[in-house]
Amino acid sequence: MLGGGRNPELLNVLLRPSSVLTLVLFGAALAAPVFEVRLPHGLDFTLENSPTPQKHLIETMPGGVALLDYNNDGLLDIFFVNGGRLTTPLPTPDNFDRHDPRYWNRLFRQNKDGSFTDVTEQAGLANAGDGNYGMGVAVGDYDNDGYPDLYVTSYGKNILYHNNGDGTFTDVTAKAGVAAGGWSVSAGFFDYDNDGKLDLFVTRYMEWDTKHSRDCGGNYHTYCPPEEFPATTNILYHNNGDGTFTDVSQRSGIAAKKGRALGVGFADYDGDGFTDIFVSNDGMQQYLYHNNGNGTFTEVGLEAGAALSEDGRRMSGMGVVFQDYDNDGRPDIMVTLLPREIYGVYHNDGGGSFSYRSLETGLGVLSSGSSGWSIGLEDFDNDGWKDLFVAQSHVLDNVESIDPSLHYLDVPLLAMNHNNRFERVDSGVTTPVAARGAAFGDLNNDGWEDVVVTCLGGHPQVLMNNGGKAGSKAYWLVISLRGTRSNRDGYGARVQVNGQTRFATSAVGYLSASDKRLHFGLGTAEKAKVEVAWPSGIHQTLNDVHADQFLEVKEPEVREPEKPNP
Amino acid sequence: MIRALLLFFWFASQTLSPEAVQHMQAGIAADKQRQFDVAVTEFRKVTELEPTFADGFISLGQAYMEKRDFASAIAPLKHALEVDPDSTPAHQLLGYALLVQGYAAQAIPHLERVQDKTALGIAQIQTGQLPEAVANLQAALAARPNDPDILYYFGRASGLMSKQSIDTLLAAYPDSPRAHQAMGENYFVLRNMPDAEKEYRDALRLRPDILEVHLELGEVYAGAFQWAKAEEEFRAQAKLQPGNAEAAYRLGAALLEQGKVHEARTELSRADKLMPDMPETLYSLGKAASLEGDAASAEKDWTKLLSIEKESSLAAQAHFGLAGLYRKQGKTAAAKHEIEEFQRLQTSSNPPPAPDKEESPH
Repeated sequence: MLGGGRNPELLNVLLRPSSVLTLVLFGAALAAPVFEVRLPHGLDFTLENSPTPQKHLIETMPGGVALLDYNNDGLLDIFFVNGGRLTTPLPTPDNFDRHDPRYWNRLFRQNKDGSFTDVTEQAGLANAGDGNYGMGVAVGDYDNDGYPDLYVTSYGKNILYHNNGDGTFTDVTAKAGVAAGGWSVSAGFFDYDNDGKLDLFVTRYMEWDTKHSRDCGGNYHTYCPPEEFPATTNILYHNNGDGTFTDVSQRSGIAAKKGRALGVGFADYDGDGFTDIFVSNDGMQQYLYHNNGNGTFTEVGLEAGAALSEDGRRMSGMGVVFQDYDNDGRPDIMVTLLPREIYGVYHNDGGGSFSYRSLETGLGVLSSGSSGWSIGLEDFDNDGWKDLFVAQSHVLDNVESIDPSLHYLDVPLLAMNHNNRFERVDSGVTTPVAARGAAFGDLNNDGWEDVVVTCLGGHPQVLMNNGGKAGSKAYWLVISLRGTRSNRDGYGARVQVNGQTRFATSAVGYLSASDKRLHFGLGTAEKAKVEVAWPSGIHQTLNDVHADQFLEVKEPEVREPEKPNP
Repeated sequence: MIRALLLFFWFASQTLSPEAVQHMQAGIAADKQRQFDVAVTEFRKVTELEPTFADGFISLGQAYMEKRDFASAIAPLKHALEVDPDSTPAHQLLGYALLVQGYAAQAIPHLERVQDKTALGIAQIQTGQLPEAVANLQAALAARPNDPDILYYFGRASGLMSKQSIDTLLAAYPDSPRAHQAMGENYFVLRNMPDAEKEYRDALRLRPDILEVHLELGEVYAGAFQWAKAEEEFRAQAKLQPGNAEAAYRLGAALLEQGKVHEARTELSRADKLMPDMPETLYSLGKAASLEGDAASAEKDWTKLLSIEKESSLAAQAHFGLAGLYRKQGKTAAAKHEIEEFQRLQTSSNPPPAPDKEESPH
């Protein structure tokens, strides 16, 4: 298991006289994090999207990244989804040469020294199927055996890999019945009916296939905008608890609306105890699926004020994060978009209603010239407020020739949360890239959140958070949930620490899955009050929890009160 | 035209040979049935039998034109004018035929003779007589205000005249502030923002108090999402021209984009005072008020906008904004009504809410 007590290395540092002096002199002065951008030894991965002059739309859309501890050794490992080879003409049937090692998805096991070892082949994750062009990844322990499983989405068929607990995975897609088909994008595990078993939601982009691929933009030859292809439905799989799933998209109401989905986020926005779903759609209104608590969902985006921009305009929704940025206890929604739009901030006003707050939060200045993909709300400076990170790059790889004021390659947006207004700081990334996926977690278990970003045609960017500038000190707490009646990882739980709230999920941003552990910055507080509202309905409170530790919170085994005889 | 010719023919037939009359009747019948090749054959026989009968040549020319053979129409129409120099239909048809064939200069005297303002304006564009073309097309537009062809040619003539003026400026005074401003505008249209910025900066360097350049430079920055710089330029324009409503509006909009809501409201209010009831200003005012939590003012601004514009995209946005206000206030029914109005306007002005064909700024 991860952590389990105070971080001894950090304690040693704190006890050094110079650090004590620093604390005395600077007190609670907190500073922006200082990221060191480097490729750890052994993390040899290239995201092969195979751009072509024909501009097949799939080639600008991959790929996801997941941070997970697949072997439960306490260190986060990294899984990358790869695209595939695109040739001219495209073969029939679809063949993306995924048997070729260059196009494999890759699992990297983290070693104790911070380096990584490629364990793809020995883990049984090598060939994702020649007919599948890879997109994203979801992580969840669907069979509650204590080992995180992987769900990989594709244009083609999706794959569910069961984690065998011995360092290997088994493709159980056929038995589980979750292959989907079409063009799947982001996906996520969550427990919509609170039965203690993780269900699976899969977004699908549009009805596009290689036979109907074409370019757009006349002489510019660009990727086509989404409205050129018909919308399609998302998929909800119910976990039957026996290793199989049932497609309940129709009967749950999820399939009642077609869309052009790219991102998905999960949180209980109205506090009714059931996890709701937000789906970011490209070029149309966004969807907020309210969980009715009876196995059905109702799409309420427009009525709730979470469907369009402040001016009532449709948006090019891409990545999404569904967390509480202003510490009012309610999950808010942030959506990444294209240039000339402003990344959407839907503030949860309570009562099932949202208001658009992009301008008040400062995103007008920060985002109107960029395209955002994956997005995360993490407390990078441990000051108790979640900050913003967005992987950025335009969709069109020749956008400069169409509009010189725009750029294909970009650096990420890192913006610190100061009183609910985001202010840009240096991310440490100096090389613009075509970023797509991004996942968040504490790679080196130092209490500071790190970031891994995927880049089309290139190596990933790993941003190691060195904990702020010299002189800053902020405490932290990282919580692992251990569900007993609820699903084992407590997905869907609302965890509150010293007035901050996180909703437990690994699904994040675009195509990606973050560390399932919940990270909280505590600022100057050395102790914390931890409150967990489990999906089972059990509420748990821990007082005077020491800061700077990795804490496992186990769901209490509370018996149901006996019902009186009628 | 055919009716006029029939009338002419009735008189003329009194003196024509029976054979010519027969061919004339056959030609007219064929023309009515759109058998233009037959009509041409019949009218040609009339001209051979009656070489001094102008209407025979006019009919032949018209038949050629109806079969889109403008080149062949020119000779018989010219011959008709030799026989009858005052023939209005001959002048008009010959003017059209010459214009279509690209002989604008030759067409103009004939079109002037019949005072066909539209054709004359078009011909004058081609010969570079732009002021005359603008005047004639303006007169034509007064008679037919919604004619798309006249609207197009009037716009083209005006644009060319403007370009001509700017070309003269650039040739004669290439380093003048106005020349740099004009170049900046050209680059702005071409979306070449770095060069547009450079030209506008040069204009300001040469004449710091030059009017409108700050406004245009601000637009360059706004187009590049550099809102702080845009604010600076709009503010400079507003300082130079405190009575300029557009400068106040643009400054307010730039402030709003940066989330400087209170300052934005001040400038937008000023814009509203300078030029009251501009829908764009009212919408932004409502938005700024809403962002500042002043729901009453936001409601007032947007309601006022809706009293001025009921069906526009701004009206739709105002309904959407009102829905948000009412939702926050817990007025569910009112919010629902505003959303319905918003959706109605979206559907009527912008057909596709169906997800199969929606627009995107992708």
